[in-house]
Amino acid sequence: MEADMDMEMPDPEELEWMESHGFPPEEEEEDAYFDDPNDEGFVTAAAGVVQPRVPPQETAVSPAKKPADEASEGNLKRPPPPPPQEQEDERSKRRNVDCEDSGDEDWLRYSPPVAEVVAEMTISRFASDIRGDCIPITAPNGERVYAKLATDGLDGGGIGGTRQRSHISKPNFNHKGLLSESFHSLTSRAEQEALAKALQESTETQTVEGCPVTPQVTEQLWVEKYSPNSFTELLSDEHTNREVLLWLKQWDSCVFGSHIRATSDDVLSALRRHSSTIQKNSSIRNFFSKNKGGPVTSQDNMLQNAHGGNSEILTSSFNKRSLTDNAPEQKVLLLCGPPGLGKTTLAHVAAKHCGYRVVEINASDDRSASSIEPKILDVIQMNSIMSDSKPKCLVIDEIDGSLGDGKGAVEVILKMINAEKYNSSNTKTSAEDTQVRKSSRKGHKIPKLMRPVICICNDLYAPALRQLRQVAKVHMFVQPTISRVVNRLKYICKKERFKTSPIALSALAEYTECDIRSCLNTLQFLNKKREALNISGFDSQVIGRKDISKSILDVWKQVLQKKRLKRVENVDSNSSTDRDIGSLFSLISNRGDYDVTMDGIHENFLRLSYHDPMLQKTVKCLDVLGVSDSLMQYVYRTQQMSLYVYQPPIAITVSRLVAQVEKPNIEWPKALQRCRTMLLEKKDKLKTWQNQMSPLISRHLSVESFVEDIASPFLHIISPMSLRPVALNLLSEREKDELVQLVDTMVSYSITYRNTKLILEPQERANGLMVSPEVPSLSLDPPISDIINFKGYQSEHIVLSLAVKQVLVHEVEKQKIIKDSAGKLLNQANNGGKRDKESTSEKTSSRVFSNGSAKLNPMTLKMQLNSASSMNGKDPAPAKKHSKHGINFFDRFRKERSVGAKTCNDSGQQEATILRDSRPLIFKYNEGFTNAVKRPVKVRDLLV
Amino acid sequence: MLWVDKYRPKTLDKVTVHDQVAQNLRKLVAEQDCPHLLFYGPSGSGKKTLIMALIKQMFGAGAEKVKMENKTWKIDTGTRTLELELVMLSSAHHVEMNPSDAGFQDRYVVQEVIKEMAKNRPIDAKGKRAFKVLVLNEVDKLSREAQHSLRRTMEKYSASCRLILCCNSSSKVTEAVRSRCLNVRVNAPSEDQIVQVLEFIGKKENLLLPVGFAARIATQSNRNLRRAILFFETCKVQQYPFTSNQVAPPLDWEQYVCEIAADIMKEQSPKRLYAVRQKFYELLVNCIPPQSILKKLLAELLKKLDSDLKHEICHWAAHYEHKMRLGSKAIFHLEAFVAKFMSIYKEFLVSTFG
Repeated sequence: MEADMDMEMPDPEELEWMESHGFPPEEEEEDAYFDDPNDEGFVTAAAGVVQPRVPPQETAVSPAKKPADEASEGNLKRPPPPPPQEQEDERSKRRNVDCEDSGDEDWLRYSPPVAEVVAEMTISRFASDIRGDCIPITAPNGERVYAKLATDGLDGGGIGGTRQRSHISKPNFNHKGLLSESFHSLTSRAEQEALAKALQESTETQTVEGCPVTPQVTEQLWVEKYSPNSFTELLSDEHTNREVLLWLKQWDSCVFGSHIRATSDDVLSALRRHSSTIQKNSSIRNFFSKNKGGPVTSQDNMLQNAHGGNSEILTSSFNKRSLTDNAPEQKVLLLCGPPGLGKTTLAHVAAKHCGYRVVEINASDDRSASSIEPKILDVIQMNSIMSDSKPKCLVIDEIDGSLGDGKGAVEVILKMINAEKYNSSNTKTSAEDTQVRKSSRKGHKIPKLMRPVICICNDLYAPALRQLRQVAKVHMFVQPTISRVVNRLKYICKKERFKTSPIALSALAEYTECDIRSCLNTLQFLNKKREALNISGFDSQVIGRKDISKSILDVWKQVLQKKRLKRVENVDSNSSTDRDIGSLFSLISNRGDYDVTMDGIHENFLRLSYHDPMLQKTVKCLDVLGVSDSLMQYVYRTQQMSLYVYQPPIAITVSRLVAQVEKPNIEWPKALQRCRTMLLEKKDKLKTWQNQMSPLISRHLSVESFVEDIASPFLHIISPMSLRPVALNLLSEREKDELVQLVDTMVSYSITYRNTKLILEPQERANGLMVSPEVPSLSLDPPISDIINFKGYQSEHIVLSLAVKQVLVHEVEKQKIIKDSAGKLLNQANNGGKRDKESTSEKTSSRVFSNGSAKLNPMTLKMQLNSASSMNGKDPAPAKKHSKHGINFFDRFRKERSVGAKTCNDSGQQEATILRDSRPLIFKYNEGFTNAVKRPVKVRDLLV
Repeated sequence: MLWVDKYRPKTLDKVTVHDQVAQNLRKLVAEQDCPHLLFYGPSGSGKKTLIMALIKQMFGAGAEKVKMENKTWKIDTGTRTLELELVMLSSAHHVEMNPSDAGFQDRYVVQEVIKEMAKNRPIDAKGKRAFKVLVLNEVDKLSREAQHSLRRTMEKYSASCRLILCCNSSSKVTEAVRSRCLNVRVNAPSEDQIVQVLEFIGKKENLLLPVGFAARIATQSNRNLRRAILFFETCKVQQYPFTSNQVAPPLDWEQYVCEIAADIMKEQSPKRLYAVRQKFYELLVNCIPPQSILKKLLAELLKKLDSDLKHEICHWAAHYEHKMRLGSKAIFHLEAFVAKFMSIYKEFLVSTFG
């Protein structure tokens, strides 16, 4: 059974093998055939090949089988199987099967099967026919035969079944048989020839492009075949190209250790004169650099420098600072743009041009952070020890691809850039020095980015790129002009001898939005089908419409900007609007993110200058946006996602109503998002505040009622005009009452003033208003005054003076402590009284309030303010503790004080306790306050 | 303490505004038992006050000893375990909470809390008051699912707990829940009642009220007792003795809405609409509910409007408020209302003045 399985296995493997060899085996075989002396054998074989999937090698061999009976060698006639064993092994197995396969079909009809003729049976349908060990073999068509296991001991019996089986087919190894040379040498020779041919071909296409390559020989994609090899051949925007090159050249001082020479004027003028010749030379230069493959040629270098210098003047974005720095300021270049414009090509060509070896990481590679980090480190730190010791340039393609894994690369790069910034202060040495140091600390520090990194993406605003965007030098790719693309296409068509008209080509370019890759693929496809390119074909299925989702900004732009209608065919305007609607529909539905789409439309449509005297259009727009909102909510609630299809028509309606020809100034819909987040934030703040209040009050509050009803009056109440910033004892009786009331309110609503750093307006500072920054400004905490702080609204609230605020803060703090201690006190009393009945659950950490304590507070506060009272009841815990600590100091005052205290105290407690507790010591540590224990002391006391 | 809190009646006997309701409630709990209750009415009418007084009536002073808890509920939903944190006030006899704080998971809160209360059923020696009271605030904000799950639990655990529901509008409470409760409507107090309350407070605080002063505040408060008392206190703080024509400073957000209304009346164009949008955002950011904004805006606009248009504008305001409830982006609908108003108003101006 096991062998059975084994036999099934080779099939896919073999196919794979065939694939990996691709087309060359065909050629190889051809060579082999021609070298074969037995020509007639080959001819019959050609007739015998029925199944297309049979590899040519087998067809070459199977005829060798036919003469086998004539030769009657007494054994199977097989060409000696050459090593590589593995492949040959498979092949021989196939052969076994094959002879059975085809035995039923074609040539067995006129030639009896070998297995039956030979004296010693090796293959039979019946196991009994075979002497010795045999093995079952199942053909793909279900035929089952038994093959004899080889008995000759070339390899000995210890080797596994597969090995043994292979011996069936190689009974006589040195038998020359039908082939004049051994098969092995034939194949190797064929391989060599194919290699030489391929080499020649590749050089040919580069050097003499005039020589057209026949399409039937190479099945190379046109895109690859005609991809630009030199900088000047690039099709993308000249400015972008130069910017990229300039950026790369800025690395020179870091990577090559050479400074960029400033180009003198005469060189420049010479360059201008030669600029035309450079174009011509480019191909030759390219040939040179390609073939040498070693160090960069001097000519190449010179040209590079010239290019660098040239663009320096041209763009003038090159600042002198970067000359002294080792590497450019922005370590990463981010190229972005729609697909097919040649971003990858530009990166490769530019890097090659500047003498780098390109290392590409793209979406097909493993891009998790852990696996990509060593890869990147390898690239940016190590030099190849191979023949070309060019520095490497890292190209990360499709960096926006996947969020999860693609992020790895971004993270690693960001980490390195950040590490650089961190170290940049103490690394002002030359490139060599840093390199040495870098290698020494490689183990424990995040390495610097020492090689250029080019990242390529389609969507600049992909979330994964958010951070990278800030540190990288970003280049947007714009579509090349149609004429440029068409010229190129024309050239290629000429080379390929494909007949087209320039009109068709330009239509194609327009249709594909100048996607060169798509154009070329289409052309090649048509060429293959031997069809001509005609304009009518675009609308049919010949050319695939790109199914790309555009960036959201593009979607908004499309919605809010009317296409300039060509007034050529007025008759066709109806169908053109149809097409517009269709394309808009697909655009929006491809994007899919309806929520944001609608927000963006809502944010931007009012700023369009559409004609709407009676605001009917506006009403209509807002109505449909409202519908979209309700629909969204409905879908969200019922999860009927299929209803989303009705969203694009809403956007189209808006578009039809308000779209204008002029370019809209699109803005990201920040307002709504900001509104949502701030709303949540404020609600949270209010909630936490509410939780700080005593539950007796907070239970009657809700966020809404507070904001709607309470906030404004409350602010008025806590900032009374009448309050004078004077010492407490100077206040009149009524004012004292008011103050007590106010403090009580503030405490019960757990609100106080807090120190905030005064942020001076910049212009104020400029005006010379030298307000010292130490001036403390007290603001409400929690900041409820923000609630009524609307933009462009002047509220009439009075802000208390600083002195009053300070008094209030002090009083509130004091009051809080008293309240806390009172609460504890009451709690103790309660516990003492009810300890038997009550469960201990009362003693939880949560604050316990009772009606009694609430009532107690105003009273205690008054006493405190009169500054001569004492706490009734027992000793507040903190005070007690403290008095013990400070006994040696405060004892002095206590005795004298006790008399006065006694008179005020009417609680009727024992004298000892009164004496001890007559003055509650308030101790609270506050930052910015003094750390001391406060109590009123007269100078007289100190003099004693 | 603010007067609002200071003069809040603590027992049903002392309730002055809704004394009839209070009497009925006292009779209701006289038998030491009560059905589930649903209090509804506009804000500032005294629902919470009534509820607290009722609980005190039922359990005595013990119900006033409340503590605040930040309780974490671990809820096993079968597929995963949810963790919810909710603030609740509880005494030995009752629990107060706001289940809509849990957002879309409010359903589990309702189920869990009631279940747990049923488990910890208080045992009284006399077998009396063997139930706890659960006060659920803002029931109208509960999701439909939560309300559905509420109605089963209400019946199942009725032996061990009573629910007191509190909301602004009973229309947002499902029919099923409403029918399981005794509905108590708490009206907004009439202006006379407000005047009475204010005079009562004035007497307690030893204040001298000029003639018509209380009535003015009552009018300004828009029949919201809480607002009225706050206004009263504000006036007191700002200027005492009261002058004969003193008014309380207006609410800031209402003032801002007035500005918006003035803006709208001044100019009707998409550009102006865009400016109005920014102001709406300002209001919304500061937690002002969009419904209140719309209501106040409508009131302001109606003040300055020709009577021919009033009906139509009211119709559209209702229309857009309904839309607002269906959707989630209130700004769309607020703006749509303003646009509609602008359109109608401009048409009117053009047709009348040419």
